[in-house]
Amino acid sequence: MKVSRRDLLLGTAGAAAGIVFTPVPWKLLGDVSIWTQNWPWIPQPAHGPVETKQSVCTLCAAGCGMRVRMAAGWPVAISGVSTNPITKGALCPLGFAAHQLNWHPRRLREVRHHGRAASWEEAQAAFERACAEGPVAVVDGRPGRSASGVLAAFAEKHNGAYRVVLGAESQALLPYAEWSGTPVSALGYDLEHARTVVSFGAPLLDGWGTPGRFTRLWSEKAAGASNPELRLIQIESELSHTAARAWRWLQIRKGSDSDLAAGVARVLIEERLVAARGPLPAVSLADACSQTGVSELAIRELARVMATQRPTLVIAAESNASVAALNVLLGSVGAPGGIIRKSRAKEGPVPFEANPNSYRAILIDSTVPWDFVPRTKAEIFRFAAWDGGGLEADWLLPCPGFLEETTDVPSAPTLGVEPYAIATNLTAPAETIKTAAQFLAKIDSTLPEIEKLIQARCSEIFEGRTGTVYGDQQTPVAKFESAQKLEEQLRGGAVWVNDAPKNGELRCAFREWPGETASSAVTDWASTWAPAVFPPLAAKLYQESKLREAPGRRPA
Amino acid sequence: MNARYGMVIDLDKCTGCGACIVACATENNVPPAAARATWRTGITPMLVQKLTNGKEGGERREAFIPIACMQCEHETPCVSVCPQQAVELDQKTGIVMQMPQRCLGCRYCMTACPYHARYFNWWDPQWPPGMEKSLNPGVSVRMRGVVEKCNLCHARYHVAVEKAAAKDKKEIDIADYVPACVEACATGAILFGNLADERDPVFAAAHSPDSFRLLERIGTEPKVHYKTKQDWIRVMADRNADRPTEAQHG
Repeated sequence: MKVSRRDLLLGTAGAAAGIVFTPVPWKLLGDVSIWTQNWPWIPQPAHGPVETKQSVCTLCAAGCGMRVRMAAGWPVAISGVSTNPITKGALCPLGFAAHQLNWHPRRLREVRHHGRAASWEEAQAAFERACAEGPVAVVDGRPGRSASGVLAAFAEKHNGAYRVVLGAESQALLPYAEWSGTPVSALGYDLEHARTVVSFGAPLLDGWGTPGRFTRLWSEKAAGASNPELRLIQIESELSHTAARAWRWLQIRKGSDSDLAAGVARVLIEERLVAARGPLPAVSLADACSQTGVSELAIRELARVMATQRPTLVIAAESNASVAALNVLLGSVGAPGGIIRKSRAKEGPVPFEANPNSYRAILIDSTVPWDFVPRTKAEIFRFAAWDGGGLEADWLLPCPGFLEETTDVPSAPTLGVEPYAIATNLTAPAETIKTAAQFLAKIDSTLPEIEKLIQARCSEIFEGRTGTVYGDQQTPVAKFESAQKLEEQLRGGAVWVNDAPKNGELRCAFREWPGETASSAVTDWASTWAPAVFPPLAAKLYQESKLREAPGRRPA
Repeated sequence: MNARYGMVIDLDKCTGCGACIVACATENNVPPAAARATWRTGITPMLVQKLTNGKEGGERREAFIPIACMQCEHETPCVSVCPQQAVELDQKTGIVMQMPQRCLGCRYCMTACPYHARYFNWWDPQWPPGMEKSLNPGVSVRMRGVVEKCNLCHARYHVAVEKAAAKDKKEIDIADYVPACVEACATGAILFGNLADERDPVFAAAHSPDSFRLLERIGTEPKVHYKTKQDWIRVMADRNADRPTEAQHG
C-alpha cells in the first residue's frame, strides 16, 4: 500500500489526538513535576544511622530535660523528656529549634579584637598582661556549675573578683535574701503547694522559670475552670499571654506595682485578714487607687482572695521589695506554697557592681546574657557562641555552641528543689573554639578540671545518700552501688533531685514598709533570652504568624 | 479496622506559646522565613491564631487557637478540586495526604479549603550554610511552587508501622505515633488519637459536651475537634474561621 502525504498527516494528527487519551502526557507531566522538585540546589537531609540521646538544655539556666534525635551524627530534632520530674516533657518554643543555632549566620568561629580577626595567643597575652597590671573581674551568668568553680578559682588565685549577673527571676528573690540573710541561690518558690498565685507582671505562662513547671501545674489545676484549684491572678498593664489565660487579670498603670502592693497590704492589715502585725505602708488606699488606676473595691477583693485562698504566693517580675513584703505579711515565707529555702548553702556569689571602674579587665563568660554591658573603661574579654552585635567588647572570643560542650546544670533560679544534671556534648566544636574555663586553664594550669569537678559533685551526691535520680526509672541515691554508676546515669541524661529540706528554716523581717521600687519591664522569653541570637525558625512566631511582636520591637 | 486519626484541642489550656509551630517546622523540614515572607506568604502548617472577646481595657480577654489541616472526612474540598490527584484521603488512616511530587502549584486546593490551612511555597527552601545537616531525614524538602499542609506527621506514622511490622503486628501502637505538635504542647492541650476507637481517650474528648468543630455546618466533618468551657471562645473561633480576618492566612 502506498502511503500518501495526506495519510501521513492524518496518521500523525490522529496519533497526536489519541495520545491525549492515554496516560502518557499525564505521566510526563508528573515526571516533570517530580524532576523540577529535585534541583541540585535544594538541600537534602543527611542520611545515616538514627539514634536518640537524652541530655539537658543549656540555652538558659532552666535546665529542661531533652531528647535529641541524631542522624548521621548530627542533631536533627529535639523534644522534651516526660520522665523529667520538673519539666515533665515540656520545652520552650526556642528549645525545639535550638539544634539549628550552631549554623546561625552570626555564629562566632574566630577570635576578634576590635572587630578584626585575631588569634587565641594574642588574646591570652592581652589577658595575662591585664592580670599582671591590675585586678580583673570574672563574670558568670550561671553560678553553681563546675565551670563556675574554675572561674572562681582563677579569680581567687589571681587577686581578681568572681562576680555574677543575676537574671530578673533571681533578682525577684533579692528582698527575701536581704531580710533573711540567705543567699539568693538557696531560695525558691513552692508553686506546687500554692492555692493562689499572684503575679506582678511575671510571665508565668510564657517562659518564666523552668518552662513546663508552672504551665503543667496551671494546665492540671486551673485551665478553663471558673473555680479552679489554683488561682492565677495576673497584675499587669498589658494583656500579655499570661494575663490572657489567668483566672483574673487586673490591669494597672505601668510602674504602679509598689503602690498596688501597698494598697493590698493596707487592706490586709486594716481588715485584720492576716495575723502578722507588720508596719503599715505610708501609702493610703485612696492614693493606691489613684496611682494604679484600680478601684478600691477591686483592691479589697484582691486582698480578700489572697487572704482567704491561702497558701498564697506573690511573685514579682524582678526585684520589688513592696511586692515581696506581701509574702511576709501573708505568712508565705518559709511555709508550704510560699517562698522556701531549697538548699542549705550559706554563702552565695557576689553580684556584679554597678560601678566597675576599679578593674583593669573584665572577662565575661558566655552564660551572661548578651545585653549585659558594663559601663567601664576596663578591657573586656567577652566569650560568646554568637555575635549579638551592639556590644563593643575589646575581645570577642568564640566558645562552644549548643550541645558542643559538656557542662553541668545546677538548680534553676525559681525552682523549689535542688536538682543536678549533666549536659554532655553530643557534637564536637571546631578546634578554634574554647570555653572560658579552657582559656583560663591555658594561663594557669593548676586550675581544677571541669571533668574532675563533675566527678567530685557526683561523689558528693552519692555520699549524701539523699534524693532520687530520675532516668528511665526512678532510683533513690541510696540504692546506687557507686558514685561512678550515678555519674553514668547523669551523663546519660538523668536528673538528680534532692529531697526537699524542711520548711520553716526561713524567716524574714523588716522594720518599715519598703519604699517604692522602679517598675518592672514586660518580660517573656523574647526579652530574657540569654544567647545573642534566636533560632531561625523562631521567626515563625512573629514574622510568619501574628502570635508575637518581633523581639526587636518589644517595648523596653 | 480502618483508623481515623484526629485531634481534640483544649483551647482553655492553650497559652499561645508557639512551641507547636516551631516543633512542626523542625519535624517537617519547613525552612526559616524568607526575607519577604509574611503571615500571608510564609509556611506554617500549624498556626496559632489569637481570638479576642472584642472588648477593650480590663474587660478584654484573649485566647489562642491552633489551626492546622482539619483532615476533612466528608467531601474533602481539596481532594475534589485537585486536577493532579496530589491530594487524597487515605482510607486506612483518615489522613488527607498531600503529595508535593504530584502538585503543579495551581492552588485550587488553597481556594477550596474553608479553613485556610494550606500554604504555597513561594520561595526555594533555603537554610543558612551547613544547617541542612539539621534536617530531619524522614521528611523530604519541598520545592518552590508546590502547596503543602499538615499531614499529621505522616513520617512518624510510617515509623510506627515499621515498628509494628517488626513485631509481626498489623495495628500500630498509638503511643508510637505522636505528631510533633502534640509532643511539643507544654500544657497537654492537644490530644491525639484514633477517633474511630471508642477506647481511645480522644474519642471521649471529641464527644464531650464542651467539644465542637469549626464550620461544622458546611458538613466537611473535620477530624480536628476543639474544646472549651467558655462560650465566647467557641463563638469567636467559629466566627474567625468563617470570616477570615487579617489574623488568618488568606
